[in-house]
Amino acid sequence: MMSHTHRITRRSFLKSSVLVAGALNLAPGGVLGRNSQAGANDRLVVAHVGVGGMGMTHLTNMLRFQKEGKVRVAAICDADDNRLEAAVENASIGGASAIPYRDYRYVLERKDIDAVVIATPDHWHAVQTVHACETGKHVYVEKPASVTIREGQAMVAAARTHKVAVQVGAQARTAKGAWQTCRAIRNGIVGKVGRVSCWHYANPTDEKPVPDSPPPEGLDWDLWLGPLPWRPHNQRCQPGNFRWLMESGGGQIRDRGAHQFSTVLWCMNADHQTSFTVEAKGRAPAKGLWDCPIDMDVIYQFKNPNWTLEWGQPGIKVGQTEFGNVFWGDNGHLILEWEGGYRPANPEAVNFQLPPGGQEVYRTDEYEDFNMNHKADWFKSIRDGHLRPAVDIEIGHRTATLCNLGNLSYILGRKLVWNGEKQEVAGDEQANRLLSRPQRYPYVL
Amino acid sequence: MYFSANNKLLRRIGHGRQVTAGVQGLVARIKSPDETISGVAWQSAGPYGAAAVKPLAALMAEDDFELARKARRGLYKVVRHVGRPGAAKERKAVERELITLLSSSPPQVRREVAWMLSEIGSTRAVMPLAALLTDKELRDDARCALTRHPTPGAVTALKSAFATAPEDFKYALADSLRQRGEKVEGYPSRKLVPAKQTSVTPPQRK
Repeated sequence: MMSHTHRITRRSFLKSSVLVAGALNLAPGGVLGRNSQAGANDRLVVAHVGVGGMGMTHLTNMLRFQKEGKVRVAAICDADDNRLEAAVENASIGGASAIPYRDYRYVLERKDIDAVVIATPDHWHAVQTVHACETGKHVYVEKPASVTIREGQAMVAAARTHKVAVQVGAQARTAKGAWQTCRAIRNGIVGKVGRVSCWHYANPTDEKPVPDSPPPEGLDWDLWLGPLPWRPHNQRCQPGNFRWLMESGGGQIRDRGAHQFSTVLWCMNADHQTSFTVEAKGRAPAKGLWDCPIDMDVIYQFKNPNWTLEWGQPGIKVGQTEFGNVFWGDNGHLILEWEGGYRPANPEAVNFQLPPGGQEVYRTDEYEDFNMNHKADWFKSIRDGHLRPAVDIEIGHRTATLCNLGNLSYILGRKLVWNGEKQEVAGDEQANRLLSRPQRYPYVL
Repeated sequence: MYFSANNKLLRRIGHGRQVTAGVQGLVARIKSPDETISGVAWQSAGPYGAAAVKPLAALMAEDDFELARKARRGLYKVVRHVGRPGAAKERKAVERELITLLSSSPPQVRREVAWMLSEIGSTRAVMPLAALLTDKELRDDARCALTRHPTPGAVTALKSAFATAPEDFKYALADSLRQRGEKVEGYPSRKLVPAKQTSVTPPQRK
């Protein structure tokens, strides 16, 4: 069943689409979205940087948008020629004549490209996003936004300075399940919420460590490492295994945590609560290359209003699926499986009726598929010119701050007091030095 | 719960010979082929402090990559333990030991030590780190360490290196100096200069 608000939103969208389409037909040259200026071509010209697992999902989405006449996929880039070749082939089958590149900087040089979709390993997100902003391109970047606090700050600054829209790929804020949960929680379905607990299965361990070895043919190891300090290639680093190394992936808390925390902050209406304490404890793997903790318990304490966020890995599984969240209120609790995207909301949230005078929550509602919807929301922010998509980079940065400080507390083995206004850890010089990680030249912010 | 082993160790170690014997025991446990022993051992290295620095650094140079890895992680535990607020004396002692490693250890150890000093190092660490800026293999790690190092001395060291560095390294040093708020003439950033060509070609349209 669709809410009244949804109907209004969709009508408003269709109306604005017609108006914008008309405007585009009159405009003389240029392209849609560059610094909010509508151009002659009503298709956003898009490039994909990083076409591994999620990168291919993005490409598939974008080929559908291309069929709908909304974008043109013009370039595909990856540091691994094997992946690149597969992706351009897929794009060709899907109707796109995309030029392949190994080095994303060739993509940024192209004046005809309006926007980039970045789905590289996490240690690349900030550098590529900042560079794309600096060349005037809108950005859709995978979550987590960053691997350090200073990177996140630089991303926000770049988006604002260069007046582009940066959407972070934590799609739940445009997904129906999270939206239904959000409006139910904000409107008191369980009363005042004092605690939110997340459960998630453990990080894997590297049970078969191998010595360093030359990179596989076709992989540009120097480019894959990018901003990271130089080290020899190890098969256990990539492709998807970057996730289990603290420097490049940060484990479940920075991967799924970026989804779950984004949803939780949304439901708690807490994007403005940037100060908190964080204390993490974890069990490190006994061997192997991967250094993310197997188990991990992290407690965040927020003030004014007071509430606690708990990351439990594995934590206490309250719901039915592999990971999820529980909102504990005065009058009971509400479960949200996963992050509210790939799983539906709890029936109580689905059936929740907004009380008289209740607070409605907006979300873009163009596609049932929330991966598509999240990108549609990004396009909408460009088209409308407000440049603030649902998971604007500032929200993405705040979410990543939770993830990154959770890991930092674990690494340092101590509680941290985070001052969100000053963007620093109170009274801990070492922790503050670790808010940034100097980058290998020339892969710098 | 996770740190109970550390607390026991803290009580057990702490004085002279006991510390030395404790470190020998730590090293022996890290070298154990039994992962349930070695895995716990490196994680408990933090409170051993300065006495553990050189023994762990020696293990980091071992050919056995798993042993070297455990030792490196153990040494990071030390650095992060002494980096806590209120531990200035322990930190200074560890810093002193780390600095000595910069002049004589294998490159893979010196590289890690540079990063460790970037976390906890004081002005004492600046000149030893600066000395690495002329070592082609380690200079970028040293540059990064000094970029993070909060003292004015680190900026001075970067400036000094910039004046004499080979042309190809000047760009990186210029970037570090700009990050530290310094004005640098010439040597514009190369961060947006593409350099890597692919062999993949676009599929032929059918």
